[in-house]
Amino acid sequence: MPLPSISRRNFLTGNHSDARPDLDRLNPSWPTKRVAKFVREHLEKQPPIYHPPKTDEIAPVIPGTNNTESLQEVNWDMGAAKHLLSRSMFGPKYPEIKESSENSMELELSSILSYQPLPDPPGDWVDEDAPQWDALTEDEILELLQQYRIRMKDLGYWWMKGMMRNPVNIQEMITLFWHNYFATAQSKVIFPQAMYQQNSVFRQYGLGNFKELLRQVTFAPAMIIWLDLYQSTREEPNENFARELLELFTMGVDTYSQDDIVEAARAFTGYLTNGVETNYNFEEGSGTGNWWTNKHDFGSKTFLGQTGHWNGDDIINIIMEQDATAIHICTRLYKWFVYQNVNETVVNEMANVLRNNNYNIATVLYFLFSTEHFYDENFRGSDIQNPVTLMQGLIRKCNMENFDFSISFFIHSQEFLGMLPLEPPDVSGWPGYRSWINSITLPVRKIQATSLITGQSPWGNFDMTTNVRALAQSMYNQNEEGYASEQIVKNLGFLFFGNPLSENLEERMLAVLLDGAEPYDWSINAPPNDPQWNRMKDLMIYIMRVPEFQLS
Amino acid sequence: MKRREFIKSAFALSAFGTQIPIMALGRKNKLGRSVEWESDRIVVLIKLNGGNDGLNTIIPVQNDIYYNARPTLAISQNQALGIDDYNGFHPSLSAFHSLFQNEQMSLIHGVGYHQPNLSHFRSSDIWVTGSDANEYLQTGWIGRLLEQEYPDFPSNAPDHPLAIQFNSANLLEFKTSESNTGMMVFDPETMYYLINGNYIPGENDPALDTYGGLELDFIREVDLLSFEYAEVINETAAGGSNSIEYPETNLGYQMALTAQMISGGLQTPIYRIYQSGYDTHVDQGNTHNNLLSDLNNSISAFMQDLENQGLMDKVMIVTTSEFGRRYFENGSTGTDHGTAAPTMVFGNHLVPDLFGEQPSLSSLDQNNNLFIQHDFRQLYSSIITDWFGLDQNIANTVFGQEFESIPFIQTPLSIKQTPIPANFTMEPAFPNPFNPTTILSYTLPKNGNVTIRILDLRGRKIKTFRLGIKNAGKNKFILNGTQLASGTYIIQIDAIGSLLNQKITLLK
Repeated sequence: MPLPSISRRNFLTGNHSDARPDLDRLNPSWPTKRVAKFVREHLEKQPPIYHPPKTDEIAPVIPGTNNTESLQEVNWDMGAAKHLLSRSMFGPKYPEIKESSENSMELELSSILSYQPLPDPPGDWVDEDAPQWDALTEDEILELLQQYRIRMKDLGYWWMKGMMRNPVNIQEMITLFWHNYFATAQSKVIFPQAMYQQNSVFRQYGLGNFKELLRQVTFAPAMIIWLDLYQSTREEPNENFARELLELFTMGVDTYSQDDIVEAARAFTGYLTNGVETNYNFEEGSGTGNWWTNKHDFGSKTFLGQTGHWNGDDIINIIMEQDATAIHICTRLYKWFVYQNVNETVVNEMANVLRNNNYNIATVLYFLFSTEHFYDENFRGSDIQNPVTLMQGLIRKCNMENFDFSISFFIHSQEFLGMLPLEPPDVSGWPGYRSWINSITLPVRKIQATSLITGQSPWGNFDMTTNVRALAQSMYNQNEEGYASEQIVKNLGFLFFGNPLSENLEERMLAVLLDGAEPYDWSINAPPNDPQWNRMKDLMIYIMRVPEFQLS
Repeated sequence: MKRREFIKSAFALSAFGTQIPIMALGRKNKLGRSVEWESDRIVVLIKLNGGNDGLNTIIPVQNDIYYNARPTLAISQNQALGIDDYNGFHPSLSAFHSLFQNEQMSLIHGVGYHQPNLSHFRSSDIWVTGSDANEYLQTGWIGRLLEQEYPDFPSNAPDHPLAIQFNSANLLEFKTSESNTGMMVFDPETMYYLINGNYIPGENDPALDTYGGLELDFIREVDLLSFEYAEVINETAAGGSNSIEYPETNLGYQMALTAQMISGGLQTPIYRIYQSGYDTHVDQGNTHNNLLSDLNNSISAFMQDLENQGLMDKVMIVTTSEFGRRYFENGSTGTDHGTAAPTMVFGNHLVPDLFGEQPSLSSLDQNNNLFIQHDFRQLYSSIITDWFGLDQNIANTVFGQEFESIPFIQTPLSIKQTPIPANFTMEPAFPNPFNPTTILSYTLPKNGNVTIRILDLRGRKIKTFRLGIKNAGKNKFILNGTQLASGTYIIQIDAIGSLLNQKITLLK
């Protein structure tokens, strides 16, 4: 059956979302009124991005172990290693899982959580100065905006390539985690330099001290633009940033009052950016220059019961003294790396570890990833993979990470699946979990996956497909018992499903692979042109279409 | 656990053979509705997303406060399309004006809830869950309604979706305690190809009792239900048609597709359609004109289409919105979030009247907002009891309390009885089950015209016996079922302005 062609327009016809959060949140005076008008006019012509509707549905609580002791060595096996790698990186391969399981867990954790240097940037433009918009003609502005949009796409492409090419290390995953945590959308920020800079902060500070990360994110161009901080002045403080700082970035709802927001907003006045530089001095922890002198509210404020002439840094210092902050951070970490149903006992212990270790993120992740709790059978296969982890991870598992996929393959497919990096639906990030799966996204997820085998996708075909022979050979061990066909089925099930492979599914998979032949008819060393490899392609497509495939 | 059972039953069905589509094996209720759900009626709910400005929809043409408070936005009495001395339609609503005069429309003033919340999200949640202002429910009113009718859903799912929602709908409205009754839809043909071409039938081992197992059950359910329903949606849409052109708008598309599915015989009782853009804080004038004009053209096209196809009798259309807007305009020639607003209802079985009156603009709540006249749950309750003919108890269970119907539906298909005069009674038919005749005894309090109807379980008339004037006291009617097929029917006595019903079963 030929694939129907899907365009973003026909896909979303009948979607009520001419609701356009991207349009609604544009600031009519950023970076200048004149430029903002052009930005809006362009965006209005673009079809909407699909954001799957949020569902609050959640699984009932299943009691499991609260044990936060370190996993016993005897339990550190292939299954445990797969679980750890699947949660902390994109697309662990079979040999990598095997190798990890043969190392000690401690060694593996130190390696996964080790700091990685920054990758090469997507282009020289990342250091480009902000233009003098008022000095430009209309044509020059339009041209520059077009260039910015292209760079923004390049940045997303560069990032998604980084994910699929990640080593056995958490850097790419933690970067995506913080992007979802401090969710900032490029359509409002406009400057690709600012989005790149924020992304680098996540890489550089994402495993270190949380307070430093928070400062680096807060006082950088992307955030100052995203939550309208540059418009927050002594005369008219804007509560937008202060509210999200408390509710989403640090303490969580119901731990502060509206008055605290008002007072924090007064402290966060007088910060400015031109899209690339800011008036903030990180060493001094203060704004600088005329804008700061004139627009910062130097008056006395009372925030969370403490009175003083607070500025933004002081507010952050007070927030970091609050118990709620560590709880909130650890809850978010838990939901991302463990499961949506939060185990409060474990989160409280994580929060203690975080507080006692200078809010070092790597330390609390080391703690979490080493507990019996983390490896509880309960959580195996419980992660409804987000579309980016699903796709970039799959490409890597299929050994296709060095193939040059087109920009449109990555970006357009995510526009349909609902998780376009750099364009979260709002500041609270992607709703995730069960919201990822509905009658629209599920078939698209299957099609997108099988395109790696067929080379055909609704948003373009490509001329390389998974080398299934190499994949089979990478997971074959001649010392193990049983026919190669049986071993391959078992190991594919292990690699591509989070839940244990059921007997029934194993039989069905074997039937697809053998297509009427006997298990011994299938040889791991058959030449590449042997038709048996087409049966393995059929099996791969089969795997990608069963519900088990969605879970990790 | 219901989801578990659903997966098990899918397992049992598919055990017949991996290549047989599950649909073809049939289900208990081939026609798609439960036995309890006796009507084939359909309601199409349209959400005016963002908060529609009620005062500029149904204009208070005599109200000076309105004209003073809206120097740029007010619609003059000359422009308004007059309804009566006090009310006029917005000039973009010319088709509605005709529909109203043609007795195909009712207007209900002041719909909302007490202690109004002015946040879009919260107010929308209150409307979709059917909660009080200070109550937080995790299930939707439609979900709870359908859950009562289909307590086994999804393990004993009907063949047709229980509810259709267009693409990015608010899922909460359809959520049951265990599942979600709404099926999200886009272009049915593309959808069918995508889903059908990627579905793997076959036996499933039960999932484990772990979180991983629960999530697997969740995905299996979406997988299987979308597979089954994509087929029936595609078939009905392909078998149905539109007899006229619709506006080329998002709303027009949704309404055309809905008509097509109804025309093709989809039995789904509830559709939820969305029109966005009503949050008119800034420069409201043209935006609102265009929105209402689109609404006017889309609804009138839809009604004409269904009328042409002889289907309009079973369809009712209801508009809702999370709130109305302030009576005074703001500094940006727009209006800010308000409270109560009128609801518009369309259909062939309505009381073509205004319910309630233009809201007072001098008596306001503490936030200078309008007081409500009708709780939105009265509206929904009327749909449940008077339109779908379900028992009042069902509506009470959905909302946790009883809400009085608003009598805008003519000939209520009501199992809930209108007040029965003393001495108007019906005895159980004897014999029952019967073949071929049964005797129905009834008592009249006074002389009067008597009509006896035989209805099928979906509320459709099979036979009507006009008996003329009968005397007060005890009467008998002998029903001969020779020409009827075996089955269960409703026998209905219509006399002195009241109805009495009972079920009878013919066994040949």
